[in-house]
Amino acid sequence: MNSLLQRASRNFLWQHPWQLVLAMLGIALGVAVVIAIDLAMESSLNSFNQATKVYTGSATHRIIANDGGLDEKLYRQLRVKGFSQLSPLVTGYVKLAQAEQESFKIVGIDPFIEKTLQPGWQSGQNENFSPDLLTRLMAEPNTALLSQKTAQRLHVPLNGQLSLVTRQGQQPLTVIGFLPDTNAVSEQVLAKLIITDIATAQELLGLFGKLSSIEILLANDASKTEAAIQSLLPGNALLLSLESQEQSLREMTRAFSTNLKALGLLSLLVGMFLIYNTMTFLVMQRRRLIGSLRLLGVTRQQIFTLILSEAFFLALIGTLIGIALGIVLGHGLLQLISGTINAIYFRIDATVLTVTPFQLGKGMLLGMSVTFFAVLPPAFEATRLSPVKVMARSQLESGSRLLIKRLGFISGILIASGLSVAFFSGNSINFGLASIFLILFGFGLLTPVLTLWLMKFIERAFGRFLGVLGRLPVRMVSAEISRTGIAIAALMIAVSATIGMDLMIGSFRQTVAQWLHSSLPADLYVALPGDQMTAEKPSLDKQLKEKIARLEGVAMVSTALQTKLFAAGELTKTTVFELAEKSKQGFIFKHNMDNSLWDRLEHQPTVIVTEPYAYHHAIRIGQKIDLKTNQGALGFEVIGINADYSGDQGHLIMSRQNYLRYWPDLGYTGIGVYARAGADLKNLESRISQLLTGQQAVKSNQAIYKASMQLFEQTFTITEALRWLSAAIAFVGVFSALMALQFERTRQLGILRAIGITSRQLSVLIIAETGLMGLVAGLLAIPVGFIVAYVLIFVVYQRSFGWTMAFYFDSGVLFQGIVLACVAALLAGVLPALKMAQTHPAEALRTE
Amino acid sequence: MEKPSAISIKQLNKSYRESDRQHVIFSGLDMQVSRGEFIVLLGRSGSGKSTFLNLISGIDPPDSGKIIINGTDISALSEQDRTLFRRHHIGIVFQAYNLIPTLTVAENLLLPLQLIKRLTRKDRDDVGELLDKLKLSGRLDSYPDRLSGGEQQRVAIARALIHDPDVILADEPTGNLDLDTAGQVLELLDILVKKAGKTMIMATHSQEVIGQADRVFSIRNQSLQRE
Repeated sequence: MNSLLQRASRNFLWQHPWQLVLAMLGIALGVAVVIAIDLAMESSLNSFNQATKVYTGSATHRIIANDGGLDEKLYRQLRVKGFSQLSPLVTGYVKLAQAEQESFKIVGIDPFIEKTLQPGWQSGQNENFSPDLLTRLMAEPNTALLSQKTAQRLHVPLNGQLSLVTRQGQQPLTVIGFLPDTNAVSEQVLAKLIITDIATAQELLGLFGKLSSIEILLANDASKTEAAIQSLLPGNALLLSLESQEQSLREMTRAFSTNLKALGLLSLLVGMFLIYNTMTFLVMQRRRLIGSLRLLGVTRQQIFTLILSEAFFLALIGTLIGIALGIVLGHGLLQLISGTINAIYFRIDATVLTVTPFQLGKGMLLGMSVTFFAVLPPAFEATRLSPVKVMARSQLESGSRLLIKRLGFISGILIASGLSVAFFSGNSINFGLASIFLILFGFGLLTPVLTLWLMKFIERAFGRFLGVLGRLPVRMVSAEISRTGIAIAALMIAVSATIGMDLMIGSFRQTVAQWLHSSLPADLYVALPGDQMTAEKPSLDKQLKEKIARLEGVAMVSTALQTKLFAAGELTKTTVFELAEKSKQGFIFKHNMDNSLWDRLEHQPTVIVTEPYAYHHAIRIGQKIDLKTNQGALGFEVIGINADYSGDQGHLIMSRQNYLRYWPDLGYTGIGVYARAGADLKNLESRISQLLTGQQAVKSNQAIYKASMQLFEQTFTITEALRWLSAAIAFVGVFSALMALQFERTRQLGILRAIGITSRQLSVLIIAETGLMGLVAGLLAIPVGFIVAYVLIFVVYQRSFGWTMAFYFDSGVLFQGIVLACVAALLAGVLPALKMAQTHPAEALRTE
Repeated sequence: MEKPSAISIKQLNKSYRESDRQHVIFSGLDMQVSRGEFIVLLGRSGSGKSTFLNLISGIDPPDSGKIIINGTDISALSEQDRTLFRRHHIGIVFQAYNLIPTLTVAENLLLPLQLIKRLTRKDRDDVGELLDKLKLSGRLDSYPDRLSGGEQQRVAIARALIHDPDVILADEPTGNLDLDTAGQVLELLDILVKKAGKTMIMATHSQEVIGQADRVFSIRNQSLQRE
């Protein structure tokens, strides 16, 4: 393109640097949030996989067992049958015998497995690691390897001792060598890892004769070997491919990830309004320049290309800044996301932000394409500018009003489509979220026309009391609706999303609170750590239960065992209950209850499933679930579906009597204590406490309720953070629009000053206008926020997690929404108001 | 008997900084304007006519010197007080009309009144009457962009006069109008301003106006020269 043409346009842009900065900021912030979420989410999952590889090496498959653990004889049996490339592991968590009782993962390995299966730190390629250490690890009892940094931090020298808390009391370990780290993930994992040989780990964890897993390296096409291994496995064990396990973990977090990514896209949507707004301003401000260029023979196509090339330049810089910001923000979000995954899904031992070129490419493409789409309308608008006559602002506005009315019609179609997609798109989470976007975008387009009506209403209702001066802000909003409307729409979208999410979180909180109240019928709960399923645990737990039952003031006790069973090839969480009469009141069934249910649960092969489980597996009452028992697969009939908000994957519920018929006794993970009427609970708690050892603990139902609600709040921290980010982008949008508006109006404001309006009055006028814009955004956000909350609760969350919630209305949320919109708009108006008030009237009058 | 002085300018200096150069507009300018006098200001583009009007209206402060209007030295006032003074005592007519686009014709006229007092029914009636005189009675509720250039300038003149100011400043009020319309506007100014005994300073190129003026000045050599 003609360089002079570009220069004519570029000089104008250079003269308005802050507009350029705000446009780039809009792109950058939107891209940053999306990139940050993507990086943090992917990094959490990658870190989990890489962390596992730190001690599993290059294995492709894994034999796992339910909580009973694998019999170590199986390993020998597999070796004898000729299977090679096997690596037995014993894993668990231990605490250091120090004031903070720091938790470490202990991994017991066979030091002499095949080299191909050895992890990086163990392989001969690592110069810092001597193979002699492995021999010593095996030959010398109670020896361990530790990361050098951890050893330094804990002041443990080479051949120094580390003291651990075990069921048998404190046990010393001699640190005979240091683990070399190969990358950031391994550094983090190793920092909390103790490596021993199998026997030491079994002793420390009380898992005598047991293995946690056997890692296997299989060739690409080894289906026959797989089948052969599978045929040798006992009922409580299963062979899984690590790839499929990785896939299932990804699947497990898919809904969580999709919802987070949607929040990121919301920020980008708000950012898109900002880009559109800024580019439109930049075109409109240059209408005289564009008109002159057209007079000189510049074609429409050249003008179009000129605007697009400017947008390309802005998008490129904005996106690059966005990617850099996204990486910084990603570091912050990584902790929040990993924390939530830890709390809800599975334990992540390392959190390292990994950035891949693919992710950066995605961010680049997103930033560029969003800018391109946002800039198309103003680019077309530029080509329509008359070369003969530079249109007055008012003429442009009357054209815009026609467009706004047409958009009103289109927005109706978008909203209707959004609602249709929401309710007629099966179980698709993506369609559920897309429906929210359609609804928000539809209402965004409808905002300018609704603003015009509201302004008319305000003027009719209050015009008499406002006087001419008071009417000015109202008129200013509607007279420049093509500009104010976009800013109001961006703010409305951000505030309605906030209201929607607040109402959803509030409803969820209330639902969970009610569920917790009813599902904690016992007065006290004893937690018995379930990590270490030692041989003596069942009898010790039973003795403890009997001692508690005999205590004065105890009316009855119930027990629970949280374990995992293989259901349809998946390791599935299962709670095994020994219910007291009162415990049955803790179940909230999602259907009419049959009186024979409890009897059937005890005496027939039946299960109750939680609502999320039933949803994810499309289970209905009367269907059978195949569970792997030592006697082979057995169908358990589903006789009930109950509400449960403890996790989004759901679980099975079985009676203890039923369970013990098919699986070995693993003891309990919890005992519920029902006190007699009038019993002193504090005193009872302290007496039970005296019966407990080590990591066992007793808590009141109130304490558990509080801790559960805290966990609930913690899981929404990330949502809160992202919500504020999109509100911040909307704020930048309003600020940018107002700055540009005031710039356009400089002359008009100069006239007001010339006829005697003081600078203070001018500030008040501008702030009143922005306050009005905020008020409109807040008022419109209320119904939109309600619709968003409704779709979130009854469509998105139900499809994502399988939970049904009640809609709880909280008027406080609505007030907060209006206040947020007004405060954001007022704050955004302060600087433009001050700037205009300070502008010299003579200068303002000289402005074209 | 000599008429009392409406505007008195003493040793007025005004200059602008343009990059690293000081551009002097007025240097040691003196002038006396009697009450009810009609002054015409001539000068080529960029000579400082608009700056002179801005100084008298208090929109622009002088570098030094005094501008006394009806006994008030506005050069000694703060920006805020100059604004309040302008609000009460000065009416301005611009070449580009400068009506507030977001207010109707009637509201444009009521605005200066509302700035100085509480509006009454009578004010609204007065606006109606004034617009009748200007043959704009049918455009009371029209927005400025719906009016022709001549109509807009008539409204601008009415706005400058509605609050009964002592001094009217007109900056090329016919500059954007065709000959016929310009003639109508000047006739209107003659009736509403000059015959009403108000003081008026008009910057213009129009030869017809020169004939009606009491005195004609042009800006030359950073000073006013009587023609």
